[in-house]
Amino acid sequence: MSVKEFFKGNVFKCIIALLCVLLVSGIFLTIMNSLLYVTDEERFERAINKIYGKSVKTESVTVADYNSNATINEAYKIKDDGNYLVKSTGKGGFENGTVTCWVVVEVKGGKVSGIGKVVIDSNKNQSYISKISQNFLNSFENNPAKDFYFTTSDGYLTSGASMSSNAICNAVNGAVDFINAKLGNLAEDIYADFEYVKNIITKETSHEYNAETKEVIFHIKTNGFGNAIQFTIDVTVGENGIISDYDIIKNGSTSGYESKMLASILDGSLFIGKDIEGIKGILQNGADLGTIGSLNGSDLITGATQSNYLCLNAAAFAAANYNTIISMEQGGQENE
Amino acid sequence: MNKYKKITLDGLIFQNPTFMLVLGTCPTLGLISSAFSAMGMGLTVLVVLTLSNIIISALRKVIPNSVRIPCYIVIIATLVTFMRMFLEKFLPDLYDSLGGFLALIVVNCIILGRAEAYASKNGVVESAVDGIANGLGFTIALTIMGIICEFLGKGSLFGAQIMDFQIGMLAKPAGAFLVYGICIAVFVYIIDNFERARRVKANKLARENLLKEEA
Repeated sequence: MSVKEFFKGNVFKCIIALLCVLLVSGIFLTIMNSLLYVTDEERFERAINKIYGKSVKTESVTVADYNSNATINEAYKIKDDGNYLVKSTGKGGFENGTVTCWVVVEVKGGKVSGIGKVVIDSNKNQSYISKISQNFLNSFENNPAKDFYFTTSDGYLTSGASMSSNAICNAVNGAVDFINAKLGNLAEDIYADFEYVKNIITKETSHEYNAETKEVIFHIKTNGFGNAIQFTIDVTVGENGIISDYDIIKNGSTSGYESKMLASILDGSLFIGKDIEGIKGILQNGADLGTIGSLNGSDLITGATQSNYLCLNAAAFAAANYNTIISMEQGGQENE
Repeated sequence: MNKYKKITLDGLIFQNPTFMLVLGTCPTLGLISSAFSAMGMGLTVLVVLTLSNIIISALRKVIPNSVRIPCYIVIIATLVTFMRMFLEKFLPDLYDSLGGFLALIVVNCIILGRAEAYASKNGVVESAVDGIANGLGFTIALTIMGIICEFLGKGSLFGAQIMDFQIGMLAKPAGAFLVYGICIAVFVYIIDNFERARRVKANKLARENLLKEEA
């Protein structure tokens, strides 16, 4: 085939037609891209606008975590009204998953004055998240809890999605704690550096010290874990860190699982008379209680293992920190 | 005028791409859990289908037969990319709700099917009407199924909560598959009955005319 024949042939026509279509398409898309390109700033403003409900000017805030049940991902101060917009991931959801929410924290007079809005951003492992209604999210705004500390046991709960509700509560609480810390209003958490705090809501936990008997009564509130919601447990610890009394004040077992809990946990006899080493001894090979897996091979694997785990955590927290409380209290008395 | 009526009725009802030809099943099953997404997808396909039909029909004598499919794909892909840019700029909510299905319009068999079967053989106006009719047929089918799935699966309509009763499965692709099947059955049943009635009426008229002629 000569060059002349090639240029007159069908192959050349096909190449030219295809190239022309490509060229015109390329030019068209180049022009359209320059006209319709969405900048990162525009994208960010849209996201904020969608959450906040109106166009606002924002200022980025450095984030830090002040609540062990939540991780603060992003935070912005709304320049227009002084409120804060916080992206917070609440832990303690279904199957140890999380729910990430945008929370508008309203501020007046240098203090948190309300929850402006809660919008779910994303979730991990929350199969029943679709059950969380707008009414539930509005309840944070319309019925603020005392000190803006929300728990499922106080009614911030969607039936059928209790664990996701717990994670949302944790996300909102984390956002409030972060803003309180930013504003210098966060109450000091005296138990923050204690041992075995992983499943303990330290902000909701308190203790009483009896100087005469050297007994410490811990009023412990645990996290929700798996299918179990928060437990409230009173643990009395005597000399040498030995538990002398163990009462479950509020059982967090849900859907009738309480009956499947170990009887010796329900009456406290499993822990009474034991110090932290004794409690560890309940587990095989002295496992460290770090994960629920440490219960494997022990008698605590029942139909309500997650509830048993939380109760074990409460006992370990009380027994392990007895000496710390004693030195703290005695140090305080000496100072007085 | 009769020609355009036929094209329109074919696209909307008798050759409805979703219920009669069962084309474009992927976005149908993926998006009908939300009426808003379903309608948005339908309207986007309508625009792309109409524009691609017009362009392909206008270029049908210029594009050599042996490279027509690559050329159609390039034209459709360009229009889909343009629609993505347009939606992201002006309708970001719809852009987010359509997600990956928006890019998949490029390989939607309704569009390539109409380009190959109709636009490459007919004039620009007829092709435009065909694109609009088929696009509307697709949009209406998706919207009807979107309304059913969202209402029964989430208890809401176009995002507005209406009732607490929900059949969660219907808001998922498996439930959408069931709704799709039921809708096809109902649609085909109605069309069959309509055509049977039309045939009976035509036969009756023919018999009456024959009797008149004999008399």
